[in-house]
Order: sequence, then C-alpha cells, then structure tokens
Amino acid sequence: MLSAVVAARFAVVAGLLAAQPAPAPAPPPAPPPIAVTVAETAAILEAIKAPGATAVLVNVWATWCEPCREEMPDLVRFYREHRGKGVRLVMVSADDEDQAATVGRVLASVGLDAKAFIKSGGDAAFIDSLDPKWRGAIPATFLFDGKGTRRHSWLGPVTYQALRSRVGELLSAPDKKPAKK
Amino acid sequence: MKLAHFAVALAIAATPAAALAGESSGGLTLGSKAPQATTKMKNVDGKQLSIADVAGKAGTLVIFTCNHCPFAKDWEQRIVELANGYTARGIGAVLINANNPDMHPEDGYAEMQTRAKSRGMKVPYVVDETSAVAKAFGASVTPEAFLFDKSGKLVYHGAIDDNRKQPDKVQARYLKDALDAVLAGKAPPVAETKSLGCGIKFRS
Repeated sequence: MLSAVVAARFAVVAGLLAAQPAPAPAPPPAPPPIAVTVAETAAILEAIKAPGATAVLVNVWATWCEPCREEMPDLVRFYREHRGKGVRLVMVSADDEDQAATVGRVLASVGLDAKAFIKSGGDAAFIDSLDPKWRGAIPATFLFDGKGTRRHSWLGPVTYQALRSRVGELLSAPDKKPAKK
Repeated sequence: MKLAHFAVALAIAATPAAALAGESSGGLTLGSKAPQATTKMKNVDGKQLSIADVAGKAGTLVIFTCNHCPFAKDWEQRIVELANGYTARGIGAVLINANNPDMHPEDGYAEMQTRAKSRGMKVPYVVDETSAVAKAFGASVTPEAFLFDKSGKLVYHGAIDDNRKQPDKVQARYLKDALDAVLAGKAPPVAETKSLGCGIKFRS
C-alpha cells in the first residue's frame, strides 16, 4: 500500500518536472585562442619558405580592420578545403605587439587554425619582402609557391573564387614558371 | 601666398594625361608634378581649396590621411606638428581625406572639423569628394605623404617616420629629413619609404 502511494507521488512529481521547460543549454565554450608569435620579418619569411607546402598564402591583417575581418570567411573556407592539398596559410597581424591574446582569440573565433604572427620591427623591409609593388595597405594577401617564389598578390580584400583560381592553378602545376609581369 | 610660377607648374599637371604619365602601381613617380593640382576640395573651414592654392614658396606637402585609421591616428600628432611647423617656413601643406564616410562614419566632414580643431591643425584638412585626387596620385594607404620641391617636382613619397607606435624611439624621420632637404635646396636623403597603413576607402 505504502509503495503504491510513493509510486503515485513520484509519478506526479515526474509529470510536473516533465512539464517544465528544459533549461537553456549552456553556450558552447569559446574555442581556445590560436598561438600567436611576435616576430620580425626574417622569422616570418622563414615560416613562409619552410619546406613542406606546395602553395603558401600570406594574409596581412589587423583585428580592427573591417575589410580584413570581412574577407576572413572566404579565407577560412578556402584554407579548410585545401590545407590537406599542400596549402599553408600564414596570418600576419599588424596589431600592436601586446595584442597577441586578442589576435589569437579573433583567429580562433573564425576557426582559422593557421600559423599566426604579429609583425614587429620596421615596415619597409617586411613590405618589400612580400611584394615591392605593395605600399603597405591592409588587407593584402600573397601567394608563394613551395620554393618561396611569389606567384600573386591581392592588394585589397581577397575572395574565395580568386583564391581558388590562382591557388588551384599553382597546385595543378607547381613547377610551371609564372608568366613574367 | 602668391606663387604664380609654382601654381602654374602644378596646374600644368592638372590634366588626366599628365596625371597618368607619372603614375605607377606604387603611386606617383619621383620627379612628377602634382596631378589634379587645381581640383577644388572642401576645407574644414568651408572654403574650397586646391593643391595649387596652398603651394608654398619652398615646396608643397600633400598627405593623404583620415580620422578612423589607427595608423593615421598614431601618426596624427606628428603629422600636424610637421605640417604646422614647416608651413611657417615656406612649405605649403594640405591634408586630404579621400575616404568614403559611408564605410567609416568617423571619416565624415563633421568629425574632420572636430579633429582639426582638437589637434590644432593650422593647415587645410580637405575632403577629396570623389577620391579623384587620391587616385590620380596613386595613393593607396593612410597616412601617405608626397613632398614636392620648389619647382613642383615630387622628391619624397612615403611614410612619416619609422616608428608608428613609439615616437620617442623613432630612428629615421623620413619626412622631416625630406622637408629639411627641400628647404635647403637639396635632394632628400631618402626619397621613397613605405609603412603599413589602412587601405584608402575610395569612393566609387
């Protein structure tokens, strides 16, 4: 008799609980920030020219730069689709050197798990090492082949289609000499 | 300032053909005259001014800059000090904002007026309303300086100095050295430099 009463009460409580709206799920944890290295031009070039890639994309950006943030989804999509095909992405931020944590958080928030730097030291050598025709306006993206030779520059925002066209060309014929400009 | 010869020299370069002749993918080439020199632009005081109008007896400094760009902000006080200081020594100077304020409202005219006042600008700060002047110069970044000598030829193009963030740690004062050279009638020790900056938000 007693157990029947307890069971009935349990059923009532269970029914009441079931009628309550489910608590909102906890927001997913923020992705861990990407490691960001403060480095001068030589170390950045070393990362660009390190062996093991067929195509290396170098994107120069800043966390506060709106056009830079706007192009990131295209960069993310392209890199995710092609990182297994020999594409390396090197992100170089023009943020202040004490902003490594912010830079890492922004990269993580868009899912860009790439080699990341904050550039330190003088600008002129860095700019000329990527493309002497570049005057330093960001965003800018550069394509190097596996031997460290620059193949193309996008001085301004880049798109997925543009990346696919130029990088695809390089991936399909990595040893073909670039046309003289 | 009545500088008929210099204004004429600049005005000769005001045609599109002349503007294109000296322009490369990296901007106006050294030795070129100022393009769009007679194009009127609205100053923060409401008056219409051209580069030829502000030309100085000893030379003319044109700097493309804006309000919103962190790079331009970091160099802003140094830009104003140089422009104010050298204007008093015979260099004409104008700061030009070619950015589209639709992309950055902070680059609008009212904010330019506020900025000019708060920074103590004694030189014109004008709006390039179609970005035509910036395009003719081949300017692409803020801030970007162009210095013309007394004959109207471009003798320096590029950065303000070599340390945006730490004025006390500047080692190379590119623009100041070029200004001093122009005043002395000499060629600047460094004629072209570069620095990272914000891309100009051209009006289409």
